[in-house]
Amino acid sequence: MQELGSFLEVLISGLLAGVLYSLVALGFVLIFKASGVFNFAQGAMVLLAGLALVRALDFLTRLGFPGWLAIMLGFVFAALVMALCAFLVQRYVLGPLINQNALTMFMATIGATFVIEGVAQFVFGSEVYPLRLFPTDAWIAAEATFPGGILINKLDVWGGVIAGLLVIALALFFQYTKTGRALRAVADDHAAAQSVGIPIDWIWFVVWLVAGLVALVAAAIWGTKLGVQFSITFLALKALPVLIIGGFTSVPGAIIGGLIVGAGEKVAEVYLGPFIGGGIEYWFAYVLALAVLMVRPQGLYGEKIIERI
Amino acid sequence: MSSMSAIPTMSALASTSEILLAVENVTLRFGGVTAINGVSFDIRKGEIRAIIGPNGAGKTSMLNCINGFYHPQEGRITYKGETRQRMRPYVAASQGIARTFQNVALFKGMTTLDNIMTGRTLKMSANIFWQMLRLGPALADEIRHREYCEEIIDFLEIEAIRKTPVGRLPYGLQKRVELARALAMQPDLLLLDEPMAGMNLEEKQDMCRFIIDVNKTFGTTIALIEHDMGVVMDLSDRVVVLEYGRKIADGTPDDVKSDQKVIDAYLGVSH
Repeated sequence: MQELGSFLEVLISGLLAGVLYSLVALGFVLIFKASGVFNFAQGAMVLLAGLALVRALDFLTRLGFPGWLAIMLGFVFAALVMALCAFLVQRYVLGPLINQNALTMFMATIGATFVIEGVAQFVFGSEVYPLRLFPTDAWIAAEATFPGGILINKLDVWGGVIAGLLVIALALFFQYTKTGRALRAVADDHAAAQSVGIPIDWIWFVVWLVAGLVALVAAAIWGTKLGVQFSITFLALKALPVLIIGGFTSVPGAIIGGLIVGAGEKVAEVYLGPFIGGGIEYWFAYVLALAVLMVRPQGLYGEKIIERI
Repeated sequence: MSSMSAIPTMSALASTSEILLAVENVTLRFGGVTAINGVSFDIRKGEIRAIIGPNGAGKTSMLNCINGFYHPQEGRITYKGETRQRMRPYVAASQGIARTFQNVALFKGMTTLDNIMTGRTLKMSANIFWQMLRLGPALADEIRHREYCEEIIDFLEIEAIRKTPVGRLPYGLQKRVELARALAMQPDLLLLDEPMAGMNLEEKQDMCRFIIDVNKTFGTTIALIEHDMGVVMDLSDRVVVLEYGRKIADGTPDDVKSDQKVIDAYLGVSH
């Protein structure tokens, strides 16, 4: 019983951590679906959103605003910053590249990454800023069944709930709205999309804005966990295996991929670690991704690509 | 099928004398290359107007100028009585200019129906919140537009491939889906860039029939680029001939056929 209890504890904490990976991966999927571009700048956007949020909170709290009002205004400010970022990226980075190939645009987002990181730290500072939005203590569950019970972090649960809601909203948005259909159209063919009267400028702004807001949510949760700091941009790297496993074009895929990575690396760390040495958490996700690439290159939920030769 | 009530029926009409689009002295350059050189012609409301010429004559560039993909350096384009310096694709689409492409430009990952539904983008109005919930005004809106698309699907006889991702369709059908998407926009002016390229005889005959039907039933003005001279001469009311970016002839199919410059351009001439 003890065995099972500790296994469940590891698994649950892994799954919930995985949800947070999914959040970052979601931002990538959104932009990829709507422009066929792998957005290298997603990690930088999480940093920008986090810094804007935490600095606004500090500022408002110092002015003596009550907690809840400061939090609301802080989120509004950070959302506006992300909207401005989306506007500038669309106007000056992607706008001039309409009808260019995806690799060109990918390179452009690498450029955007450095600018966003630089400007974010220049404007908002480059230290480690603690963020306290969600409770960070833990529950002990199912004490009656398992000796010692199962430890569950409240923050992870919050993350899970929020990510779940986001995914439902985004899935509805993509599947059922004309904007969603327009987004998919733009990803497939710019010229054709323009010819039926889809305003590409506007669609891209919307996509980057939504990706920016997802980055803001990810920043709020990750920031509470780790503090808002530069290393948050490396989260983007953790999102890569998640995307490869789930498929670049699938919102549910990002979630499932995140869960698999989160649970896989925790379980491997605990049960495989003692045999082959610790630190498995740092590379296990990439091995999983490699395995998926060999068997199913489009990812679990990706669109299968059939090329005529 | 509900009646074609949404579609204006203007049976029996052929071309009128009213001018829908006028191109005046248009010149388009890419760096040192002059793709179109001082070309003028007009398209009358309700007619089928062909643009022909050898490869590289500037035919597709001309369509791209008309629907705003390219902006000519000189000259004016007047559409529905309004002259514009720079037409934007979005404005062109919302003013009723639809088009198809030389090398099929469909949304490959989406189904035939979804592709055609994108043609309704500009006609849909319900807000995003209702759309996401598929309730209230959004549902009514979606159903209304879906009905219209089904009419087009019937019209072009592509019921069987309604739910097939278009990437899997043979080329001839893809061209037909592209036409369907353009028709879904209820265009006033339809630009067809080589609608019959790469088709077999049977597919060509079908396509000819659809083009004539569109013109006669919906009263849509059509400008088309085509290399099959038989098709061009049969379909069109008037033909404009381009060569190396210049206009060399303009008139009825019979006039053009017997024009010495046109014969030289197509058959070559010894110097």
